[in-house]
Amino acid sequence: MAVLECKHLTKQYGHVTALENLNFSIEPGHIVGLLGPNGSGKTTLIKLANGLLTPTSGELLVCGAAPGRETRAAVSYLPERTSIPLWMTTTQLLDFYQDFYADFRRDAAEEMLQHLNIRPKQRVKQMSKGTREKVQLIMVMSRAAKLYLLDEPIGGVDPATRDYILSTIIGNYDPEAAVVISTHLISDVEKVLDEVLFINQGRLVLQSSVDQIREEQGVSVDELFREVFKC
Amino acid sequence: MLRKLMKHEFRATGRVMLPLYLVLLVTALGANVSTRGLLESDNRMLDLLGMLLVMAFSFALMGVCLMSMVVMVQRFYKNLLQDEGYVMMTLPVSVHQHIWSKLIVSAVWFAATVVMVLLACMVMAFDAYAIQDLFRGFGQLFRDISQHLTAYYTINGTAFFAELLAVCFLGCCVVCLEFYAALAIGHGFPNHKMAWSVLWFFLLQFATQFLGGALIVLLDESWLHHLLMGWTDRIQFSGMGAVHLMMGMLIAGELVYGAVFYFLTTWSLKKRLNLE
Repeated sequence: MAVLECKHLTKQYGHVTALENLNFSIEPGHIVGLLGPNGSGKTTLIKLANGLLTPTSGELLVCGAAPGRETRAAVSYLPERTSIPLWMTTTQLLDFYQDFYADFRRDAAEEMLQHLNIRPKQRVKQMSKGTREKVQLIMVMSRAAKLYLLDEPIGGVDPATRDYILSTIIGNYDPEAAVVISTHLISDVEKVLDEVLFINQGRLVLQSSVDQIREEQGVSVDELFREVFKC
Repeated sequence: MLRKLMKHEFRATGRVMLPLYLVLLVTALGANVSTRGLLESDNRMLDLLGMLLVMAFSFALMGVCLMSMVVMVQRFYKNLLQDEGYVMMTLPVSVHQHIWSKLIVSAVWFAATVVMVLLACMVMAFDAYAIQDLFRGFGQLFRDISQHLTAYYTINGTAFFAELLAVCFLGCCVVCLEFYAALAIGHGFPNHKMAWSVLWFFLLQFATQFLGGALIVLLDESWLHHLLMGWTDRIQFSGMGAVHLMMGMLIAGELVYGAVFYFLTTWSLKKRLNLE
């Protein structure tokens, strides 16, 4: 069964169409790049999958069900911005995730935090922007979820942090799960992707496996992206 | 899940409210010392210090009352409608559980604030002789009550106390829900979210007062007035019966207002949520 499926999905904000008639499905066991230029509708799609927005028409299914309380237990979501409560200490944050998610692996999270030299009593607001993003990613990737939705996980961070983030994703996701990474920084994520979805102005332009692009078109995903979205 | 939400809600709000209560008690103690000696001192410096301590107590008193309201509104706004909303609104809990956790915790802090204010006032007015008199008075009161207490007053008194608690709890919830409804509706708009929220608060306030005013007008020489008079003429009310009827009407009124604001809040959060 597809972990994420869109059937004629359309989302409008007033008169502005953010997503138009999207049709695709994502199977478990794949790392999928949701790629498109700024304003193409990537974040809207991820918000819809999390139930933070409601579709104007069409249908979006997560593990066969419309987004809601049950699907949220199966989805691990990394928002575009740092959203973990700033007043919490690291221990309180671990308690928080453990309380609400049965699939939260506290041991794995503690090990990763220790590796970053983050003290248990340290408050999130005392951390640098980069460290906060890493902590948030650790919380998200420490879950054994069925679907990981990562919205711009490497946007606005230095190259060393990008490497750390990507290795954390690869090293911690459940192989039975699907990972969707939304980004426009293709060259950095290309090496970890199995499949790509190109979105432009709310429409699906391409869905293909990375190997297929390389074999059939003889170009990298980054090169194809530049060609497709040429200004 | 509601219990877990409340646990984290108490953690978040307790770190603000508990230190404030401590400050209130310390300033109450300072004000006590001040009124028991400093203000009557011939030394101008001590006199000034006494005045400052009394002022600090007054500010702490106002601050605690104000903060219990501010924390209640701010928690809903920051926790569900700002950046934290991305974490909170994607938890495997329902919107109803989110709202109830906030309502219950706010009501508890309102009640705790009332208790702390009373306690602070007692600390401020503490005097060994006065306390002795107070205890003596309470002792006499309980003796009188136990002498004259009958089953009629025990049952009615307990019922009245329960009704009063319900009125206070529902009152706290209605106040919170009016703020929540305005914020939730306002934050469904794509731009100027806070301006829309303020506008909606005044609209809801206006609607509430208009409907309340219209009901009072209706009670004066109208079909409703005659209908109610017709009913009450046929029923013989005792004094306590009338009190219970009044409390019941108050509870029903609060339930109606609360239900409208609750519906507006949940509907906005489910259907119109639009986090930045």
